[in-house]
Amino acid sequence: VRRLESWLFAPGDPRRLAAVRIGLCAMLAARLTRGIYLELAQQPPALYRPISFMKLLDRMPPRGFVLALQIIGVAAAVVAAAGLRTRLALPAAWACGVALGGMTTSIGKVVHNDVMLLLAMVPLLAASSADAWSLDVRGAGKREPSVCYGWPLRVAMIVVAGGYFFTGLHKLINAGPAWVTSGNLRWILYISSDGQATPNPWALFIADRAWLAHLAAAGTLALEIGFPIVLWRPRAARLFLPGIVAMHLGIRLAMRLDYAPWIVTAVVVFVDWPGVLERVREMARLRMRAPAGTRIR
Amino acid sequence: LSFLAVFVLAGAARIEAWPLTGWRLFSQQRAAQQVGWEAAGVDAEGVERPIPFGRLSHAYRGFVHVLTGFESLSPGRRQEVCEAWASAVAGLGAPVSEIRVYRVSADVSRRQGRRAAPPSARELRYVCPIEGSPRAAS
Repeated sequence: VRRLESWLFAPGDPRRLAAVRIGLCAMLAARLTRGIYLELAQQPPALYRPISFMKLLDRMPPRGFVLALQIIGVAAAVVAAAGLRTRLALPAAWACGVALGGMTTSIGKVVHNDVMLLLAMVPLLAASSADAWSLDVRGAGKREPSVCYGWPLRVAMIVVAGGYFFTGLHKLINAGPAWVTSGNLRWILYISSDGQATPNPWALFIADRAWLAHLAAAGTLALEIGFPIVLWRPRAARLFLPGIVAMHLGIRLAMRLDYAPWIVTAVVVFVDWPGVLERVREMARLRMRAPAGTRIR
Repeated sequence: LSFLAVFVLAGAARIEAWPLTGWRLFSQQRAAQQVGWEAAGVDAEGVERPIPFGRLSHAYRGFVHVLTGFESLSPGRRQEVCEAWASAVAGLGAPVSEIRVYRVSADVSRRQGRRAAPPSARELRYVCPIEGSPRAAS
C-alpha cells in the first residue's frame, strides 16, 4: 500500500496533466457534436429502457433540452480544452457528457463506447489541470512539478488500465479459456456480419479461418488482461498502446463498432506529450544547425 | 481514492451504475446455435417483410434488446412497442397493418455463401394488429 501511495502521489509535470485535459476535452467535444442524441430524443416512450440515473425519467428527455445540453457541453468542452475558466467549464462539459451518454445507454443495453473517456476525466474534475498550456495562466511563469499534477494523471492511468483489465477478466470469469479455444469469436463475427446490410469481408475473413479467430481472441485477451503492466513498466506502453489501437481498429472494420474514445483516452493518458514535444523541438533544432545536405536521423 | 475504490468495486462486482460499469463486453461465450427474435410487418395486401431497423433512426436501434425482453412485457406494453415500430415503418412510406414477432433458432456456423443459412426453426409468437389499419378493422 505504501508503494502504491508513493507512486500515486509522486510529483507530476503540469504540462503532462494539461495535455490530458486538452486531449480528453477535445474528444468529449467531438463526441457531443454527434446527431445521435437528437435522434434518441424522438424515441417513442414504449422503447425507452433506462439504466442508472436515467431511471429517474419515464422517457428520453425532449429535443429542445437535449439540443441545449449539446450546445453547452460542446462549448464547455472546447473552452476547457483551451484552459479558460477550466474549474467551471470542465465539470460542466463532463456533466453534459454523462447526461447525454445516459441517453445512448438507455436503449436496452449498456453502451460502453464513452465510459472510458468519462471515467478517465473524473480525476480532472478536482485537479489543477490548467496550470500549464492554458489561457487561464497566459504569461505566468513555468510551474514546477508537484504532487497536485501527479495524482490526477495516475488515477486516469489506473482507470484506463483497470478498464481493459476488467474487460478481459470478465471474459475469463464468464467463459473461461473457451473464450479463446472454442468457436466463440467466430460466432461473434458471423453474427455481426449477418446483422450488417452487406456481408462484412473483414469479419468473414477471420471467422472463416478458425486458427485466425483463435489467434485474434488470444491476442485480445492478452492485451486486456496484461494492460496494467504499463502502470509499473511504462516502456510496455510501446507494445500495449499499438496493440489496443490495432484491436479497436480491427473491431471497427469487422464489427462496425466505434471505440475511438477508448483509443484516444488511452493514447492521451499514456503518452508523455511534453517529452514528445521536447523531442520534436530537439529534432527541429538539430535540423536548423545541420549543414545543408546532412541528414538528421 | 474514494473514486478509485468505487471504480474497482463496480468493475470487480460487475455493478452497472452508468457511467460506472462492470465492464462486461462480449464476456459471454457464444455458441453456434443461436436463439433470437425477429419482427416483421404485414402490409394491407398481407405481404410480410422484416422491419428495416437499419433504416430507422438511432431511437429504434435497441430493437434486439426490446425483442429479447418482449415476452416479459404486459400485453398492453407489447402493443405499445408494436405501434411504435409500425409508426416508424409508416414514416418510411411502408405502412403496416400488423406486426408479427417470431422466435427463431439458427446455427450461425451453417453458411450459405457469405450469409447464415436460413433459421432451423421460426415460430410465430405474437401478432399485434395496428390500430386504424384496414386489416385490423376487418
